[in-house]
Amino acid sequence: MLTTAPRLYIRRPSPTTAEFTVTTCPPLTLPLRLILLTLHLLRLVLVAAAILTLYSRFLLLPTTTTTTTKQLLPLLLAGDILTFLTTLLQTAHFSPPGLFLTRLVAPIPDWALALLSLGAIYAAVCFQLHKTESVLVLRGLGIQTCSSTSCCAAAVLGSGWGGVGPARGGGPSKWGWGTRTRFIPTEKIRDVLINEAFRGFEVRYYLIVVVEGEEELVVLFPGLLPRRKIVEAVWRGIRGCLFEGEGGEKGDE
Amino acid sequence: MHPFSILTLGIFVAGYITARWDLVTRLYELAIFAWKYGVVTRAAKGFAVLSLVFLLIFLPVERLATREGNLHPRSIGSGISAREQLRRREHDGLMRVFWPADLPRSDLRGVVVGWRNSALDVLVLAILEEVEPRNVEWALKMGTLLRNAPHPVSRIYELCGQSSIHVLGVSNNTPDTFEVDPSWIRVTIGPGRQPPAVTCARASSIQIILFERPHPGRMQYISLNPIELALGDKHDGFKHEVPGGCEDDDEKEERKKKEQKRQLVEKLTQHSIFRRVPSAKEKALAKIVNQVNCAWELEQLLQKNVSRIGTRPKRTLSVSERVVESATTARDMMLVWMWDMFTIYVWPVIKKIFVLGLMAHRVAAEVLLRILEWRAQPRYAALKDISATAQQVEIRLQQFCYWPMQYVTLRLRKNDWESVTTSHPDYIRFYNSLWLVANDVIIGIALGSYIIDNSGWVAEEISQLLSQYTVDALQSSISWLMGWPAGLKLNNELGAFLGDLFLWVIDYWSSCIEALRPVLPHVIWFIGFSSFAGASMPIALFSDLLSILTLHIYSFYLASARIYHWQLNILISLFHLFRGKKHNVLRNRIDSCDYDLDQLLVGTILFTLLFFLLPTVVVFYLNFAIARMAIISLKAVFDTMLSCLNHFPLFALMLRVKDPGRLPGGIRFELRDTQDFRHSVTDTTQQQQQQQQQQLPSTSVIHLKSVPLNFKAMFHQYFQMGHRIRKHYLSPRVLLCLLTGKFVPPLNRKNLYSLQYSMLPARRAGVVEMWNAVNSLPASSSSFIGKDRKRIPILAKGGDAKLPGNYSGGRARGCG
Repeated sequence: MLTTAPRLYIRRPSPTTAEFTVTTCPPLTLPLRLILLTLHLLRLVLVAAAILTLYSRFLLLPTTTTTTTKQLLPLLLAGDILTFLTTLLQTAHFSPPGLFLTRLVAPIPDWALALLSLGAIYAAVCFQLHKTESVLVLRGLGIQTCSSTSCCAAAVLGSGWGGVGPARGGGPSKWGWGTRTRFIPTEKIRDVLINEAFRGFEVRYYLIVVVEGEEELVVLFPGLLPRRKIVEAVWRGIRGCLFEGEGGEKGDE
Repeated sequence: MHPFSILTLGIFVAGYITARWDLVTRLYELAIFAWKYGVVTRAAKGFAVLSLVFLLIFLPVERLATREGNLHPRSIGSGISAREQLRRREHDGLMRVFWPADLPRSDLRGVVVGWRNSALDVLVLAILEEVEPRNVEWALKMGTLLRNAPHPVSRIYELCGQSSIHVLGVSNNTPDTFEVDPSWIRVTIGPGRQPPAVTCARASSIQIILFERPHPGRMQYISLNPIELALGDKHDGFKHEVPGGCEDDDEKEERKKKEQKRQLVEKLTQHSIFRRVPSAKEKALAKIVNQVNCAWELEQLLQKNVSRIGTRPKRTLSVSERVVESATTARDMMLVWMWDMFTIYVWPVIKKIFVLGLMAHRVAAEVLLRILEWRAQPRYAALKDISATAQQVEIRLQQFCYWPMQYVTLRLRKNDWESVTTSHPDYIRFYNSLWLVANDVIIGIALGSYIIDNSGWVAEEISQLLSQYTVDALQSSISWLMGWPAGLKLNNELGAFLGDLFLWVIDYWSSCIEALRPVLPHVIWFIGFSSFAGASMPIALFSDLLSILTLHIYSFYLASARIYHWQLNILISLFHLFRGKKHNVLRNRIDSCDYDLDQLLVGTILFTLLFFLLPTVVVFYLNFAIARMAIISLKAVFDTMLSCLNHFPLFALMLRVKDPGRLPGGIRFELRDTQDFRHSVTDTTQQQQQQQQQQLPSTSVIHLKSVPLNFKAMFHQYFQMGHRIRKHYLSPRVLLCLLTGKFVPPLNRKNLYSLQYSMLPARRAGVVEMWNAVNSLPASSSSFIGKDRKRIPILAKGGDAKLPGNYSGGRARGCG
């Protein structure tokens, strides 16, 4: 429900420029947005809980009592970040949920707890829901591949890229953190091919660009490896868009 | 016709007829003949039919066509002729406009000037406002617009691959103002709209590529390939210098793999059926990158010279302004005079002294370097291959030799346009190495003063550590092995023998260390003192000290490994004997062999004996091997620290944070939505808007951006080194060596240190070249208005092409 099979969106403002985006993100409807928002809140809560557990187990001095309640806002305004954080964590620790959490994790040994909470933080931060990869084809310039893993930014920025449909497909956090682009000038492109390979017990068709003077082939959509129908559509689009005199074919989905 | 000439003609005809009377009679006969056979009537019939057709068909059609033409008139300007359509089909009508996104946007009429790379491929440099296109064209032809350039304009032309700047079109002109060239572009811009609306009579679709101009004064630039922080890929060249015998196995393997891959790629290239010839537009990309880099400076120059076009009223200066002007002039003249005095009399002396001092140091450095590099035979190790200290000293000396050369190239940069980007990586390298050395010295001073102040305590600690770990721990572990370690029943006699042997050597060694103990504070003091030359010095010295003071462990490891290896070999051959086989050395295979009974008996007994003695030898061997591995890893830690101090890309990291534009790692395009741009035409009336939308060809707006160098590329050398170390030490081959007791070869120092040398050229400049280079500088540095402008030598990536031709005197650096 949260992800779909890879879908292709084409953006083509002029016949000589096209962007093919393959994404696993389904069209954002209202319930889906709500679910994504909840998911991110959950993630936030998980990280906070893990940090709090680590703090109360390893850093909290046993002598501190609940009486040291300071005003939080003045501390933050004064710019004393360290004290602010400590006070905040202490307050959280002595609040009912914090105490419940402490009681919950009490039987777990130290090393297991540390591993567990670090793993939880890592999983919560690096968990990727959707994957988006795109290819931008510019006649006379070249091909640019771009892959972005839209983790947390997708839902946050989600409101910004409203009506997603085949008419207007754009990536969500296109130029955010973790976006990798690579530009290949047309002069260096020897050919664009569809290749096939075995993967497990199936045959996968994938698009490759043969780059002149390079040993490695450049695989388009390397992370998603969409199905043959999409690959063919993209291939036709690239052929029609990139090279002069071969226009006419149009990739459409 | 003149009557006289008629008369002449008449006389001529009469004369001709009388002369050729038979011709006339023939004609007469022909006419009679034609009449007889009805030729005349047939010709008359044909004529009648043709005129009938003309009257009935052609005339009405012509009438109809003119009437229709009058009903639907065709304007001359707007239509596209058939020839034009054909041309469009040839060039597919795609126009590419590179447009600086930070160009000032105003509503005024203007002329767009820039580079025309091919018919439909233009790069806009500037918009000159309120001038006539004809005047601009004339001024460009005469070179008025490029007057007062700080450096020769031909250099820019050469860089951009064009011979002149062209008028590309007009901006904010109403269409009917005057006739424009069909290849010119019409641009509508204004303060409110970001992508300009571009039309061109010849183009059917348009790519507008917006780019941010890099600021050459801040040394920003864009490039297609990532900037190279290391100095070229010369280490492949190193490998070829090594005679084939001492090449490593893994290197051989690597090369084989590379060869295999090359063949695969070769096969792949044969798969392409036809080779597409790249069009001019596609080939222009490299030039365009240079043009983008030059855009800022050229625009400044053009805008400065706009006032020279046409006539502009100029106000004369008022009296007060004149007074101010003369006063400033007087002050300036005074300053100039003082500066001249200084440059003529004082500066040369200072410079001469400095250069002489530099040369003296250079000669001393040369002598030291030769000592460090001296090897008795080509295959033997030089001093710098053995000791980390010597290596460190060598690196510093090499850097010292390279700095003046780098400085000279950087100085020559000043004589050229700032847009020339070839020397920017050199700049980063130079200041990175300077900064690293400065850092090193600062850390070294702190460390050194600490060590000197606490030399007694440090020496005490070190000697205690030494005796604890290299003597006591070894002794206790050996005596543990001499008993029954972990319940293993070893051979008592052999264990006692081996243990006593090693204990005896350790005793002797510990007495040596005892003798060394009173000297240790002095040694420590010396190390502390040496750290004023940089923190890397004491680290290297400690590394050397470690290898000297653990010499006994090394020798124990060697001895036990030898014994173990022999025993293993003997066991294997006796096992073959036990099976009635033997190893045929000539054919390198196992043959069966008929042994006598006594041979078999003795061999079997020996096999049993040795087999039962093997565990005892194994435990001793393992003990020392582990100790040896611990020392190697400790030294690896020292080496890593050294490489961090010597090579860390500190300057590049700082630049990456401060100004990513200075570290280009390629380019990136971003497709923008064109919808909003089309709807944003609000300042014109409705009708005009409609008209404009009709006229606008399909346009795609693309942003060209520079990708800053990623961190992985910055630390590429470190990754490479880590990969090499991992491949060398964590390979199954090493494990096999450890298991069979063969000597584990240490990683070749040249591999380990390729990182540190990547900042240095493969061959250093000799003394004479440096003298020449340093003396070539004054002409350029003291001339503030350039007297003779030299071109910066293009800095090639290889170390050889870097320096002028007479650089062959420098010796190639050897390799370990």
